[in-house]
Amino acid sequence: MSILQIHAQPSRTTVWILSWFLFATGVVSYFWVSRGRHLDNPDDRVMPTLRQMGRAFSDATLKPAEDDEVSANADQQSLAAKIRSSMLWKDTVATGRRFLISMALLFPAVLLGLHMGMFPYVGSFFLRFVLFFDKIVALSLLPILFIAFGIDELAKVMLIVVGVAPTIVLDSFNLTRSVPKEQIVKGFTLGAGDFSITYRIVLKQIWPRVLNSIRLNLKAVMLFLFAGEMIASQDGLAYRIALLRRHMGMDTIIPYVLWVALLLFLVDFGMRTLNRKLHPWFLEA
Amino acid sequence: MTRVVMARTILDEKTLPAGLSTPAMIRIQDVVVEYGQPGKPPKRILNGVSLDIHSGEFVSIVGQTGCGKSTLLRLVLAEEMPTHGQVLVEGSPRKQPDRRCGYVPQKYSLFPDRTVLDNITFGLEVTEIGILGSFSPARRVRRQEFQLEALGYLQRMGLRESDAVKYPHQLSGGMQQRVAIAQALIMRPKILLMDEAFSALDPGTRAGMQRLIKDLWRETGTTILFVTHNPREAMMLASRVIALGRRGGDEDGANIVLDLPVPESSDDPTIAGLVQRVEQTAFPGGAESDEQTGAPEA
Repeated sequence: MSILQIHAQPSRTTVWILSWFLFATGVVSYFWVSRGRHLDNPDDRVMPTLRQMGRAFSDATLKPAEDDEVSANADQQSLAAKIRSSMLWKDTVATGRRFLISMALLFPAVLLGLHMGMFPYVGSFFLRFVLFFDKIVALSLLPILFIAFGIDELAKVMLIVVGVAPTIVLDSFNLTRSVPKEQIVKGFTLGAGDFSITYRIVLKQIWPRVLNSIRLNLKAVMLFLFAGEMIASQDGLAYRIALLRRHMGMDTIIPYVLWVALLLFLVDFGMRTLNRKLHPWFLEA
Repeated sequence: MTRVVMARTILDEKTLPAGLSTPAMIRIQDVVVEYGQPGKPPKRILNGVSLDIHSGEFVSIVGQTGCGKSTLLRLVLAEEMPTHGQVLVEGSPRKQPDRRCGYVPQKYSLFPDRTVLDNITFGLEVTEIGILGSFSPARRVRRQEFQLEALGYLQRMGLRESDAVKYPHQLSGGMQQRVAIAQALIMRPKILLMDEAFSALDPGTRAGMQRLIKDLWRETGTTILFVTHNPREAMMLASRVIALGRRGGDEDGANIVLDLPVPESSDDPTIAGLVQRVEQTAFPGGAESDEQTGAPEA
């Protein structure tokens, strides 16, 4: 049977093998090439070995950053205390805080899109402006944001909001408009008012799709966050990667990149699970 | 479960000739509807339609696809406004849809994010609890009352109690429409507007729904405006059939071409002749066959 058949039904084992094949190939290829490079040059820093990366990651998770103050009794600290004062933990917390603030600020964007879709006056007022704003390349605004808001947290958060919010606004607007008119008329005939229909019928129906939209924009959120951290920050995962780049610290950079990917994957997985649990009707339908 | 009792007797006026005894429940006066696009001449859909519908009447509106049946229904619903003329419900012009009119569309009749029970109780919760009332301690008791009432309606619609926790996508088309009717009736609307409500159903289910809606009309005496493209279905269900059609060309828009009272008994020998008359007048190109639409013989 040809593998390029639309009606092909691969077995569970085949699916499992196929889905992991590229991961395995990538890992094996990396270490094959890395081994070759280290045989030629034992001091090679471009492709660190597994042992080098393990040691560097262990240092990152258990030791403070070089520029941090080290407490006098650092060696006697418990494992939890060591992790809490470690470079990776502090960077993750710093990036995570900015990420959560940015995500929270996207909620008003959803509400704006909802109201634009529901109320023609609000839609007329905002739509053209948001459409235009959506076309502005957010990174080109970076210097303006740093001048306007300084190089503190606000500028970085604003970069994410400016970069992602218009997309979320427009997505929510389109989702709102796609709710069948029958549902809105039905709401009126059942005694609901404008705001009851907006929040109790339309928002509830579009919410799982909005969550999906936000989920699909997670990478954009992280992209803008990383841009901000790399340019002007004193902590955070991207700040650390940019700092290590100067010393060619690939043994830490690669685990950091994988750590970021893992975190994003977990957030994505969490949002998908939450969506499924909160809205069982959505995926089934 | 006092509210579940729907045994309102049929109003006597229903059997009287229209317009003689009581003011009209719905008055459509010289209504013109035109749709226009910038730079193009407006397209006339309805052309001077005038119609009185009295309390307790079951009126079917028939006509070919695109003749303005649904437009007429949307005017009564106040989802649309006429270009000229006016539509009065209980003597006053309408500004937007409200709970005086229950509505059962062909599609999207239920809220997909709510279970059957929540769909039926939605109207009661919105009107009698409201958003602020959602935080009051009495809310739970009220909700239980609503749910009991909704279960009564569910039973009346021929659905099982176990269906109450299902979501709309887990129901068949016929079951969905039954729930939609319960959802509308629980609000005790004065008028029930049904827009091709059974068109998407298979013949068997459709026949069952037709019996159900006729029984409900007899029990509740609610004024029903039923849009269909099937003359036999219209004749079988309604106490009065109104056919829309275009006397002139397409540009003239539709008007009422027939307004017929229907005999009470479906066995009445004149019904077959009436059906034929509606078909000849409103469907010059031929009406859809019963096999296609599932309407039983009138």
